[in-house]
Amino acid sequence: MHEKTITIIIDENGSSTLDLEGFTGQGCEKVFDDFRGGDVVKLERKKPAYYTAHVTQQEKSQR
Amino acid sequence: MSKYSINQTVLREEKCLVEALKEMGYEVEVHPEGAPLNSYYAEQEAKIANIIIRRQHLRAAYGDIGFTRQPDGQFAMVKDELDGYRGYGARWLGRVQQLYKEKQTLAMAKAKGYTLKCREVIETAQGEQVRLQFAVRR
Repeated sequence: MHEKTITIIIDENGSSTLDLEGFTGQGCEKVFDDFRGGDVVKLERKKPAYYTAHVTQQEKSQR
Repeated sequence: MSKYSINQTVLREEKCLVEALKEMGYEVEVHPEGAPLNSYYAEQEAKIANIIIRRQHLRAAYGDIGFTRQPDGQFAMVKDELDGYRGYGARWLGRVQQLYKEKQTLAMAKAKGYTLKCREVIETAQGEQVRLQFAVRR
C-alpha cells in the first residue's frame, strides 16, 4: 500500500507549513482541513500528480 | 493531488493554550466567566481575561498577562503595553503559538487516528522550529 505522509513545520513565530504527499482526490482536502485546524491560510498550492511524476522522471534521467 | 500551505496559528482551544503556557513554566488561572487583570497603573481601566498569568509569575513584567475569548471564538492576548518591551511582545507570543500549535496538532492527530512518525526540533538562525511527520495508511 502506498504511504501518504503529512509534514508540518511550526516556526518560532507560530506560523506553520503543511505539506501533504501521496494524496489523491477528496482525501487530500479532508486531511488538509484536519491539520489546518482553523488557522488562517496565508498561501496554498496544489501539487498535481503530473508535477511530482514529472520531477521524479527528471531526477531519474539526471542520474 | 497533494498540497502545500503556509498557515498562521489561531488560538482557539483553551486546553491547548493552557498547556502551552504551563510548558513555558507559568502558573495559569482559568476563568470561564472572565476576571480582571492587574496593571502597573492602578488608574488604568481594568481589562478582563479568561486565561491569566499573574505578574508575580512573570519575570520583570509590569502587569498580568491574559488571553480573552473573542466573539469569534479566538483568544486574543491582553497585556500592559509596557510589557511588550520587557520580553512579552511578538516573540513571546510566537513561542506561545508554536507550543499551542504542536499540542493542538498532536491532540487532533491522536483523536483522528493519524500516526506520528517522527518529531524533530530544527535549530535555525531565527530560532527553533518543530517538525512533525505523520503517516496515513488508508
